[in-house]
Amino acid sequence: MELDWSVVATALPELLAGARITIVIALIGLFGGSAVGALAGLCRVYGGIILNAIAFVYVEVIRGTPMLVQVMFIYFALPLLVDIRIDPFLAAVIAVVINSGAYIAEIFRSALLSINKGLSEAGLALGMPGWKVLTNVVGPLALRRVLAPLGNQFIVSIKDTSLFIVIGVAELTRAGQEIMATNFRAVEIWSAVAVLYLIMTGVLSFLLRVTEKRMRVL
Amino acid sequence: MSIVQFKNVTKEFGSIKVLTNVDLEIHKGEVVVLIGPSGSGKSTLLRCINSLERINGGDLIVDGISVHDGKNKVRLIRQEAGMVFQQFNLFPQLTALQNVACGPRWVRRLQRREAEELARDLLKKVGLLERADHFPAELSGGQQQRVAIARALAVKPKIMLFDEPTSALDPELRHEVLRVMQSLAEEGMTMVVVTHEIGFARKVGTRLIFMEGGKISVDGDPKVLLDNPENPRLKDFLQHVH
Ligand SMILES: Nc1ncnc2c1ncn2[C@@H]1O[C@H](COP(=O)(O)OP(=O)(O)OP(=O)(O)O)[C@@H](O)[C@H]1O
Ligand SMILES: [Mg+2]
Repeated sequence: MELDWSVVATALPELLAGARITIVIALIGLFGGSAVGALAGLCRVYGGIILNAIAFVYVEVIRGTPMLVQVMFIYFALPLLVDIRIDPFLAAVIAVVINSGAYIAEIFRSALLSINKGLSEAGLALGMPGWKVLTNVVGPLALRRVLAPLGNQFIVSIKDTSLFIVIGVAELTRAGQEIMATNFRAVEIWSAVAVLYLIMTGVLSFLLRVTEKRMRVL
Repeated sequence: MSIVQFKNVTKEFGSIKVLTNVDLEIHKGEVVVLIGPSGSGKSTLLRCINSLERINGGDLIVDGISVHDGKNKVRLIRQEAGMVFQQFNLFPQLTALQNVACGPRWVRRLQRREAEELARDLLKKVGLLERADHFPAELSGGQQQRVAIARALAVKPKIMLFDEPTSALDPELRHEVLRVMQSLAEEGMTMVVVTHEIGFARKVGTRLIFMEGGKISVDGDPKVLLDNPENPRLKDFLQHVH
C-alpha cells in the first residue's frame, strides 16, 4: 500500500477548523463542568440531607450511563420533552458540562474529605465561622489535591468530544470522517486526526505538570 | 470568679455515654490538670468547653455564655477558649507567622500589619521568632506545637485548653513545650490541661482532676493527691503513668 502524506497538507485547514471546534466545546464545557462539579462536590460534603441527595443522584445517573446515550438524550429526546430547539453545538457543550461535572463532583468530594479533620477543628477553635474555614483553610488545601485528577478528567473530556460526530457537530473527528469520505485516505487522515488530538492533550498535560510543580501539594 | 461551669453535663456518642452528669466549676487563674485512663472522656470534656463537641444534656457556661446560646455565641466562646491539639494541626499552607496571624486577621479583623506584629510578638514569646517564615513541615514537632500555642494565644483567649500537647513529641522535645506552658501559667492564664506529665501537674497545676468512665472521681490539690493518692484507682493509675 502506498501512502501519500500530501493529502494531509491539503486536508489540514479543514482538520484545524475541526480541532478549533473541539477546543471551543471542551473549553466552555469544562469551564461549566468545573463549576457544576465544584458545586455538586460541595453539596455532597456540606450540603445537608436534601442537597446531598440531589447531588448524589446526579452523579450516579451520569456515571452510570454511557456518554453517547447522554448526548443522544440531550439532542434528540430533550427537545421532545420540553419544547425547545437545541443546535448540535449547544447540545455538545451541555453534554460536556453535565458529564464532566459529575466526575468532577467526585473529585472535589474526595479532595474535601481527604483534608485532615483536625485542620478544620483548629480553624473552628479559633472562632472562625464554618464558611471561612472552608474558604481559608480546607478549600485552598483541597484545590491542590483536585489539580491532578481534574487534569485527567479534562483530557478524558477532550477525547470524549469525538462522540459528537453522532449529532453532526463539525468537530475534529467529524472533519476527519468527512475528508475520508471524499479521498478514502484512511491511514493518512486518521493518523493526522490522532496526532491533532495528541497535541491538544499533550499541551494540556504539559500545562498541568507545570502548575503542579508550582503548587506544592500539602 | 468562675470562667467555666459544667452543670449536670451529659455527652453521648450514639448510644455510648461519654460524660455522665458532670458538674465542674473552673475559676480564673486555675491550672487544672486532667488525668485518667484512656477513653475516660478527658478529650471530650475539654472539647465540650469550646463546643467542638455539642453536649446532649445539662448546661455549660463559658465566660458567661451558654453553649446553647446559638452559633454566633459559640463563636465568641471559641474566641475566649483557645485550643491546643495533640497533633498541632497547624495550617500547612501557611508559614509560622501566617498561622499565628490568621486568628487576629480572620477572627479579630485586624489589619495584616497589626496582625503580623502581634504574631511576631507571640512567636518571640515562644522562642521561635527566627522561624517565622518557615512552613510547619520545616519545623520540629516541638516547634510546631509552640507555634500552635502562639496561634491560639493570638486570638487573646481568657482560657487555654490543651489536649495532650506533648504526647506526639519525642521526650527530648517535650520540655520546650512544657516550659512555654509553665510561663503562661505564671502569667496567670487560666488553663485546662489533659496530660500524662505528672511532673507538670505537680509543679504547675493548681488543681488535679482524675476522670473515670465519664465522671470526675477525684478533684483536689495536685501536690496532696500525688503524694498521697487515697483513691485506690488513682493510686493504681499513677503507678502506671510513672
Ligand atoms: N467522635 C466520636 N464518636 C464516637 N465515639 C467517640 C468519639 N469520640 C470519642 N468517642 C468515645 O468516647 C469515649 C471517650 O473518649 P475521649 O477521647 O474523650 O477519651 P480520653 O479520655 O481523651 O482518652 P485518651 O486518653 O485515649 O485520649 C471513648 O470511649 C471514645 O471511644
Ligand atoms: Mg484524649
